Amino acid sequence: MAQKYELKSKEVWDGNMAAAHALRQAQVDVVAAYPITPSTPIVQNYAQFLADGYVDGEFVMVESEHSAMSACVGAAAAGGRVATATSSQGYALMVEVLYQASGMRLPIVMTVVNRALASPLNIHGDHSDLYLGRDAGWIHLIANNPQEAYDMTLCAFKIAEDERVRLPVTTNQDGFLVSHTAQVVKPLQDEDAYKFIGEYKPLNPMLDTKNPVTYGAQTEEEWHFEHKANQHKALMDSPAVIKEVFDEFEKISGRKYNLVETYKLDDADIALVLMGSAYETAILAVDKAREEGIKVGLLMPRVFRPFPYNEVAEKLKNVKAVAALDRSAPMGTTGALYNEVAGALAANGQSAIMTNYIYGLGGRDTTVEHILDVIKETNENAKAGKRVTDLQGFINLRGPKLSFN
Amino acid sequence: MLQIRWHSRAGQGAVTGAKALADVMARTGKYVQAYSVYGAEKRGAPMTAYDKIDDKPILDHSKWMIPDYVLVIDPSLVFQEEIVENTTDDTVFIVTSHLDKDDLLAMAKHLQGKKVYVIDAIKISQEEIGRAIPNTPMLGAFIKVSEIIPFEDFLVSIEDILSKFPKKIIEGNLRAIKRAYEEVK
Amino acid sequence: MATPKEMLTTWDKVQFGAVLPSFEDPEHKKRSKFHSYNYSVADWRVEKPVFNRDLCIDCDFCWVSCPDSCFIVEEVVNKRGKKQAKIVGINYNLCKGCGVCVEVCPTPIKSLLMFPEYVDNDEALKQWPKKD
Repeated sequence: MAQKYELKSKEVWDGNMAAAHALRQAQVDVVAAYPITPSTPIVQNYAQFLADGYVDGEFVMVESEHSAMSACVGAAAAGGRVATATSSQGYALMVEVLYQASGMRLPIVMTVVNRALASPLNIHGDHSDLYLGRDAGWIHLIANNPQEAYDMTLCAFKIAEDERVRLPVTTNQDGFLVSHTAQVVKPLQDEDAYKFIGEYKPLNPMLDTKNPVTYGAQTEEEWHFEHKANQHKALMDSPAVIKEVFDEFEKISGRKYNLVETYKLDDADIALVLMGSAYETAILAVDKAREEGIKVGLLMPRVFRPFPYNEVAEKLKNVKAVAALDRSAPMGTTGALYNEVAGALAANGQSAIMTNYIYGLGGRDTTVEHILDVIKETNENAKAGKRVTDLQGFINLRGPKLSFN
Repeated sequence: MLQIRWHSRAGQGAVTGAKALADVMARTGKYVQAYSVYGAEKRGAPMTAYDKIDDKPILDHSKWMIPDYVLVIDPSLVFQEEIVENTTDDTVFIVTSHLDKDDLLAMAKHLQGKKVYVIDAIKISQEEIGRAIPNTPMLGAFIKVSEIIPFEDFLVSIEDILSKFPKKIIEGNLRAIKRAYEEVK
Repeated sequence: MATPKEMLTTWDKVQFGAVLPSFEDPEHKKRSKFHSYNYSVADWRVEKPVFNRDLCIDCDFCWVSCPDSCFIVEEVVNKRGKKQAKIVGINYNLCKGCGVCVEVCPTPIKSLLMFPEYVDNDEALKQWPKKD
């Protein structure tokens, strides 16, 4: 039996420590990982908890991230609760196996610390890795601070393992800006956290030798399409379960999470859409802009996949202009968040003026003032009733003005 | 909001010091943020760590700040002009040096006209802890200069925060903190 | 060491593909601003290694182990008329004071020892441990 860990009602944890404690409280059976900056401390802290007797489980050291996710797939198919952590290049190396995990409907939880992708090499935070895993069939939850990194990781297990879902889930936090930033976190006590997640219920475990099964079957054109459609349906239906889990989590923690988070959007003329730690920085920018008389609000998809497009459109139905801020190099088009939001609005017959901004690549600082500039530009579009600014701009980029139309 | 910037070399414990200060202040009911700016460098490279302390939750995740206090825990970094970047005339500097304040200011011209306190945190940590880890003595000096919380309350919290270490290390750190509290000028 | 500010150019002037030339003039070995030779880490040093030539057996362990290629080597001809590398000193413009050379030095009394930065090298040699 694992020992109980003494926790105060308020701890000062960085995002990595918060995620590591959530993994500990989930009493994961197998963690297979190949540590990579900036997510290394999640694995390091977890291994320490295991060595100190706070977890009953196995820690599997592997020789690459491809192997780490492969071992996770094996352990999850065998019938255990499984988790891992990664970032950036490690995430990229896992991608092939991410599709295997979701296709086999294995409820693996991966605590991702978002980091830029090389080249040029960079260890700092942006959403390149999150966007890389966008279509891998996983549920992607976003955390903006260490408290949310903890909360989302607990919720991730409950969502993933629900028999109506049975899909892998990533929790995402910004590299360094959340992962290495210590803030006040109010943890649940071990027994409360475990009770919330519940006992792991194996489904078709390979270790059930009386009922042998095959994982990873080949399905050609006569059968593949139906499997993928079935998997997509599970992902599309998962918001109902995600809402249930968030509601249940609110009852025990007092902290309310939604598919779509908003700030001062009810009476807003314009809106900014963004995810991650910059959402919180943007709250301060909104307060400042409102002092200057600009009615601006914020929106963030807490769940990036499945993308809550109808909820996003509903929340944005009264705004005149929307700026979508992407923390990833768009490489040849508008940013992913722009595309999602534009699609959501179009699908619902809405026609707010839309612009796209790229910010914070490789950890580039994004301040309240930078976001305030975006708010003012967006307000110009709203006032003019048409787009008078460039379609795609770059925030805090050094050099002559770069924009696209 | 109170804002503090640490200048250190990787391995001297500025991150641990910044987190410990955040932990101490969180126990008084404050909201805190402790983070550092990392390069891809290794032990010995100059780096900065930061504390933000406020009565309400801290939402700003940008790295930029105008510090109220600058804590320099490496004696050679005192001579680098980066330590005065983004500071004002009200910014208080607490720096590690074996020199007294007048000799130091004669050499470190960028600190002239600034509010400067000096503590030999390297020597104190070497003598009391047995290693050149100047972070905890700097905390003692900071509590003296800032009067942010009563020293007795600080000692109770920091002893609890250090409780995972062996007794000898805890006692050495407490001695170093108390000495720095007395010796900072 | 942080990237020097003068190297941080704008998006329209950055090096294509982040490919950095080592030499401005390869033929005459004129180093570019990107050459790692210009990345001094000497200011990281709190303690410095001091080299005692009298005790050195020229095993070259320090030369192999040094992460910053600090050891200055001369080519000499030994008693048997063969060319040999001889360690003659330390380039303190390159040394960051990591102490690996002292760690690997195999002589009974080490021929490399760490001293505080402010101690003069001649003074350090006088303080060297003696054979019993």
